[in-house]
Amino acid sequence: MAEIGRVRIRIPSSIKQGDIVKVRVLVIHPMEIVQRKDGKPVDKNYHFINRVVVTYLDHDIAQFETSQSISENPFFAFAFKAVEPGVLKVTFLDTHGGKYEGTAEIKFS
Amino acid sequence: MTRRRPRTGAWLAVALTVSLAAACVRNETKSPSAGLPPAPWVSRAIPEAKGEIQTLSDGKKQAVRYKGWATEDFSQYRTYAYDDADTLLPIGKAAMPAIPGDPKTGRSLFLNRTLGPCTGCHLIQGADVWPAGNVGRDLSAFGDRNAPDEYVFNLIYDARQFFPETTMPPWGSAGVLKPEDIVHLVAFLQTQKSPAPPEKDAERDPNTRPKPRGFGDNLDATNNPAVLRAERAEALWAKKGMTGKGCADCHAGGPLKAMRGVAARYPQYVALYRRVMSIEDFLTAHAPENTGVPLLAGSPDNVDLTMLIKMASNGMPVSIDLSSAENAAALGRGKATFYKKVGRRNHACADCHTVANGRGGEKFLGGRLLGNAEAGFTRHFPTWRTSQADVWDMRKRMQWCMTPLGTNMLAADAVEYAELELYLTFFDRGKPISVPGIRH
Repeated sequence: MAEIGRVRIRIPSSIKQGDIVKVRVLVIHPMEIVQRKDGKPVDKNYHFINRVVVTYLDHDIAQFETSQSISENPFFAFAFKAVEPGVLKVTFLDTHGGKYEGTAEIKFS
Repeated sequence: MTRRRPRTGAWLAVALTVSLAAACVRNETKSPSAGLPPAPWVSRAIPEAKGEIQTLSDGKKQAVRYKGWATEDFSQYRTYAYDDADTLLPIGKAAMPAIPGDPKTGRSLFLNRTLGPCTGCHLIQGADVWPAGNVGRDLSAFGDRNAPDEYVFNLIYDARQFFPETTMPPWGSAGVLKPEDIVHLVAFLQTQKSPAPPEKDAERDPNTRPKPRGFGDNLDATNNPAVLRAERAEALWAKKGMTGKGCADCHAGGPLKAMRGVAARYPQYVALYRRVMSIEDFLTAHAPENTGVPLLAGSPDNVDLTMLIKMASNGMPVSIDLSSAENAAALGRGKATFYKKVGRRNHACADCHTVANGRGGEKFLGGRLLGNAEAGFTRHFPTWRTSQADVWDMRKRMQWCMTPLGTNMLAADAVEYAELELYLTFFDRGKPISVPGIRH
């Protein structure tokens, strides 16, 4: 498997100013699920992504609180309005302090 | 002592390989294997992909197939195996039973999904007909023809009596429909008079139903889950087996560099194993012999590593070698397989997957578009199947076709399938490889 934390962002090949842009993001992460012993959940610091932050032109435009119920190698899709050219950044934060970033350059054509 | 034993084993293996190679060379110079049937092959597939038949405690036979697949045993019908002695299903004829036909019963038989269903290929009147197909004739005005009942009966019983080249299964001869059933079907068909009510739903009518547009970029990991499956095989590439070696120890530079262009040549005749092999087949033998890592045909490891190897050739044209006598002979056998009639339905691959002579290719069979093999089938395999949520290689896709044909599947790594795959790959020559694909 590819290395943990590799972020892939897919945006449309052609964007016009003012477009609502659909973004698809994939991150490699184990998203550890709950273990049980004698039917009871094991209490430990599970390794999963619990926060996703999207910034555009250095402003936070979306934040997601995520839980263990999201699959391994999670995939997120969202839309935003492209007002100015600039960098779209998606940051994934996990429960073990991991921080994984991916960026996409928003250019108008 | 314990340190020495494996070394002796290794020397033995080397000696064996040398003598084997020598045997092969002799073979090629003295009597070329071209034209001869391939050497027997012991399947190295996972148990569910071997095409085995088991006998249950009550004496009934059951086919071992993939989880969730039909287990009905079709041993009495012809298969694609080269050593299958079964001949073509004999052309049958029956007298029409003198019982009154009931159109209502006939219509429900026509729609019965455990039998034909006839609606898979033929259109009839009614808004409840789904899934609909247009492989066969439109029968929604069949009654206008005033065809004699006896003739229609025999047409359904075994159409080969009148049309030797027909693709219609011999429903009576094969025992799928009883003569009484066919009487009801005849009675029903005679009620199909024009004008047929106009079809309002363009999606439902196979003549106007839009063709599938595909699922977007197959090489985009955010779009095709198979890409991540293939990347998982990078660990497999590095994994060391019992011999202490892994793929990476002999093939330097990483899979994408070391395997560049390899997939473009496959399937091909491999002299060491004296048979035609795809990448999948080759891995089942080559990997355990050199690294000790088992890569059984049909196993996720085999499929994933095949994808990784084929991805190294993405964008390169398929360039199978047809100049070698072995490949050319295998291509001929593969073509014969493609046109061989098998199974309870007496179908050949060509019936559904070519377009000439009114065959089924590029028409709808029960709502699903049949592919045209002559347009190329192979260069995107292994492929993600959205309907199955899994990656399938070419062989599992072939095995999947066997159950509706009413024939037992062969092992995933069978020579027959390898040579059929070679024939199918023939139609992809010069076209770019694009693995993993994504399809319905």
